[in-house]
Amino acid sequence: MKTTINQKGFLIDGTKCIGCRACQIACKQWNELPAEKTEFFGGDGYQNPADLSSKTYTLIKYREVIKKDKLVDWVFHKDQCQHCLEPACVSACIVGALQKTAAGPVVWEDRRCIGCRYCMLACPYNIPKFEWYSINPDIKKCTLCSDRIENGLPPACAKACSTGAITYGSRDELLKEAKKRLKSGPDTYYQHIYGEDEVGGTCVLNISSIPLEEFGYPGNLPKESLSTTTDPAMKSIPGVVIGLGAALGITAFIVNKHKKQLSEESQSQGDQS
Amino acid sequence: MTNHWIDIQHSDVIIIIGSNAAENHTISMKYVNMAREKGAKLISIDPRFTRSSALSDVYAPMRSGTDIVMIGGIINYALQNNRVHKDYIANSTNGSFLINPGFGFKDGLFTGYNEAKRKYDKKTWGYQLDARGNPKQDKTLKDPNCVYQIMKRHYSRYTPEMVSGITGCPVETFKEIAELYTSTSAPDRVGTIMYAMGTTQHTVGTQNIRSYAMLQLLMGNVGKSGGGINALRGESNVQGSTDMCLLFHILPGYLKTPQPKDVDLAAYIKHYTPKTNDPKSANWWGNYSKYITSLLKAWWGEHAQKDTAGGFAFNYLPKREGWMDHITLFEQMYAGQFEGFLIWGQNPAVGGPNVRKERKALEKLKWLVVADLWETETAAFWKAPDVNPTKINTEVFLLPAASSMEKEGSVTNSGRWAQWRYASIQPGDAGWHGDARPDLWIVDAMFKSLKAEYKKDPGKFGDPILHLNWDYGTGDKVDPHREPDVHKVAREINGYYIKNGKPAGQCISFGKLKDDGSTASGNWLMCGGYVNWSSKEGKRSDTHYVKNEAGEFSNRYARRINEKDEPKVQKLIAAGRTTGLNLNWSWCWPVNRRIIYNRASVDLKGRPFDKDKWVIRWNPNLKGGKGAFEGDVPDGGWAPGTKYPFIMLPEGHARLFAKGLRDGPIPEHYEPVESPFGNENPLSGQAVNPVILQYYKGTKVQRELNPIGKNDKYPIVATTYRLSEHWQAGAMTRNQPWLAELMPDMFAEISRELAEKIGVKNGQKVKVTTARGSVTCYALVTARFRPFDLVDKNGKKIVVHQIGLPWHYGFQGIATGDAANILTSHVGDANTNIPEFKAFLCNVVKA
Ligand code: SF4
Ligand code: SF4
Ligand code: SF4
Repeated sequence: MKTTINQKGFLIDGTKCIGCRACQIACKQWNELPAEKTEFFGGDGYQNPADLSSKTYTLIKYREVIKKDKLVDWVFHKDQCQHCLEPACVSACIVGALQKTAAGPVVWEDRRCIGCRYCMLACPYNIPKFEWYSINPDIKKCTLCSDRIENGLPPACAKACSTGAITYGSRDELLKEAKKRLKSGPDTYYQHIYGEDEVGGTCVLNISSIPLEEFGYPGNLPKESLSTTTDPAMKSIPGVVIGLGAALGITAFIVNKHKKQLSEESQSQGDQS
Repeated sequence: MTNHWIDIQHSDVIIIIGSNAAENHTISMKYVNMAREKGAKLISIDPRFTRSSALSDVYAPMRSGTDIVMIGGIINYALQNNRVHKDYIANSTNGSFLINPGFGFKDGLFTGYNEAKRKYDKKTWGYQLDARGNPKQDKTLKDPNCVYQIMKRHYSRYTPEMVSGITGCPVETFKEIAELYTSTSAPDRVGTIMYAMGTTQHTVGTQNIRSYAMLQLLMGNVGKSGGGINALRGESNVQGSTDMCLLFHILPGYLKTPQPKDVDLAAYIKHYTPKTNDPKSANWWGNYSKYITSLLKAWWGEHAQKDTAGGFAFNYLPKREGWMDHITLFEQMYAGQFEGFLIWGQNPAVGGPNVRKERKALEKLKWLVVADLWETETAAFWKAPDVNPTKINTEVFLLPAASSMEKEGSVTNSGRWAQWRYASIQPGDAGWHGDARPDLWIVDAMFKSLKAEYKKDPGKFGDPILHLNWDYGTGDKVDPHREPDVHKVAREINGYYIKNGKPAGQCISFGKLKDDGSTASGNWLMCGGYVNWSSKEGKRSDTHYVKNEAGEFSNRYARRINEKDEPKVQKLIAAGRTTGLNLNWSWCWPVNRRIIYNRASVDLKGRPFDKDKWVIRWNPNLKGGKGAFEGDVPDGGWAPGTKYPFIMLPEGHARLFAKGLRDGPIPEHYEPVESPFGNENPLSGQAVNPVILQYYKGTKVQRELNPIGKNDKYPIVATTYRLSEHWQAGAMTRNQPWLAELMPDMFAEISRELAEKIGVKNGQKVKVTTARGSVTCYALVTARFRPFDLVDKNGKKIVVHQIGLPWHYGFQGIATGDAANILTSHVGDANTNIPEFKAFLCNVVKA
């Protein structure tokens, strides 16, 4: 496993989160992302929109915890790119548009992206999203505010969070802190640090009163990276994914990328990315 | 707040009741979380499991409108089990005071009730006095007429079973929170109560707050770090606006609005200056004459002389007769009693109670001026979906106002800290929004135009306008390119000495104010916030240093020194002083005291009850061996034991028993005007607060559009609330696409049980109807609401459903929806007439 000594990340503590979504708005503000059209709610509780998208890099999800038909808790979770230590999305990208930086963030570069969407299929958390609505579509996702942290600022969402639910810092330190919290709160926390080992570890560490699986995260992920750091990356993608990729028709897709036809297709898809 | 936001971190037990702090005061949860990290327990009491409840250790459900039962139950638990702080009660409260033996309470009514007048004669509500005219006391708290024993008898009826039957909170849960909270009666433990509009907006709103304050006094929690009684103000500067008198019954600094019987200044001062014969009582309001005279000097300057207009121009002040609250104002408007109206930073067509009636009232106006950032529903009432604009003759003027980011000045937060903020952009700068103007410019221009009219024709009573002391540096003419000087305003609010008719330096504190016309102060409480510069104030490079044509000043609101950077303070903290007072960050009224009533946090020798996080303590070595308090600014510097701690009251002791209220000296539970028990109250024969205003039973015009519903037709309890994602009546957030994305539509939260009963699924639409009107909205079906198991007066078990509705929505902007206040009524609290927004009856069907 690679050293994480200089990598930055988040400790997201669901037991401190109040689901206020200041983080969600701060992310849109910093990244100048447009609002999505929503109606009522897009998921459990107050969730909106329905999913991450090229316009929404982070999303608060709500779960009512019911035992014996009685509500016992209401838990909130911040969904976003986990910034894997060895990201499958990066190794899946055939043109190097996605990059893992030394400071931790996994970033993308519009100029390089050809819109093949392999990263979407490779990511175990279903994070990268496609600009369905654009005539020149790219892949979008949380960058861990790499443009801010390069300039010594905390990520926008972490800065906006008033409750202490998001702690930004060095991953090593955050991991220690997470372990400390778990130890001192055996009744408060579900005893697992999601992101410590999953797919080789991620820069975002999550602790909560309930397992993250309850928010739709995959359980039992391998401790090894899904990327085997091989190049080309396609090898690391599970067979089913390759099949889907082939069905999409990679070449045709690239050729069509700039054509109007795609924008029409995307319009018909709305924002269901 | 008696304390302040940062101080919440020092609590051992925190109750959030009548508030959804996580949702509406998100920053408070930073400090709640800090306290929890140190082992504090959080109790959430709410009809609905909220975002605040999500962080709680114990959640206690409570039907809307039953706070006094819940808290009265905890008080009973404390008194029955001796879980109270007895020394504190004896020395700092009126628990030991003997009450007139004629005082009594029977079947829901205190002695002296006059049914015809719907009013109490309070003759029997007084103290027994000794020969010197001071209240008699029994420090053992055993005399049957002492307040402590009266309370014990009164609340003995509030048993856990009674609490459960009325509030719907299971007996076990109630006992758990009662036990947990009364653990703070130990001198070295402390608890706090965080509350907001869920407490106040009831027909018993004032008594709800009283019940919290009384519990805090019994626990000995007032004056201590981590304690107090903490009103979380719902807007960034609502504390400031209250301090500056944006209420009908007070002038700046909580001086009383004169009434017709206050014929001149002498009569007014006599009316409102409390007296005491007890030398140990500081009786701070004994200084009343100095504060009102200085206010009159600030307002009418040279024209306020000893012999002008009732003395210092006193009779220039408008006088009020009776109620002039929001509901009354709109009732009068509806009845056509006035023709013009100015609305500023308010959107009553969404936020007012009974908006169908209030929107209709706006139609009766000849003209309406709205100053706001957007065209609100109030400005656009004539184009509401259900009205015909051609039938409305009101002329509406919309004045574009600057936002808080676009103007400079002070903002006073809930903790009474007045903090200076700067304009990020000036009128005329690139990016400035159209013709928008800061409020100060608008009011300055408006006044100058008005004065010009009065100059032309002063009419019957032009002097108050023509003589007003008004010069904020923009000349006589309205000039769109000249901004009034906000520092001049701040200097006037602070106050200054007057010599030879001219300002002669800033007053340093309200102790210097006089009633002979030699001082002026726009608000005595703020005196000390904006003073002359001296080397003691800091360095000229500090943020609070101000230099202008009038001289050099210390704008203490702009101080930005964190106590972490103050070595002297760190020494005290190492010796146990509490953290977070930050005495050199901003400025706080009164006299920069961060935790008020702090003299109650020490014993008669000046030793803190709580050694680990004391607020003040007596240090005999200070002042060259004379001794002084150190730590926070004390409630007066007198040696410990020489003055009583509650200096604003003539008896110097906090009032567990308070004669001043209209509806009783101790809180008693009455049902909301619309109650699921119908006309019954399980606790007494008196269903509803007996002294509330009853417009719904008034004249024909008052009764119009204001019917009250009964539980047969409207069996479901409803309440309203706010969301993190929207702000008040919505203009600032429903016009914001990102926030509209999060909360796009009006919805009602309903329990799974009710949803099943009416056959509605999550995301389908429901129609909610009260006696006043209906709203149609989405149903959010949730386990966070549960039906309440109640017990009625006859001991019969009944199941009562409750729903909740956000009140932000209206027909303007991006995120629109029916206004929840279509459902609410023109019924208010007995003492303030604040509307009963928080508990009413409805019916819900699938739409
Ligand atoms: S800002 Fe913080 S507390 Fe609010 S939803 Fe985001 S993570 Fe939770
Ligand atoms: S979470 Fe997904 S998108 Fe983010 S770095 Fe890991 S693989 Fe890439
Ligand atoms: S780190 Fe930056 S990009 Fe990622 S969720 Fe937070 S604000 Fe958005």
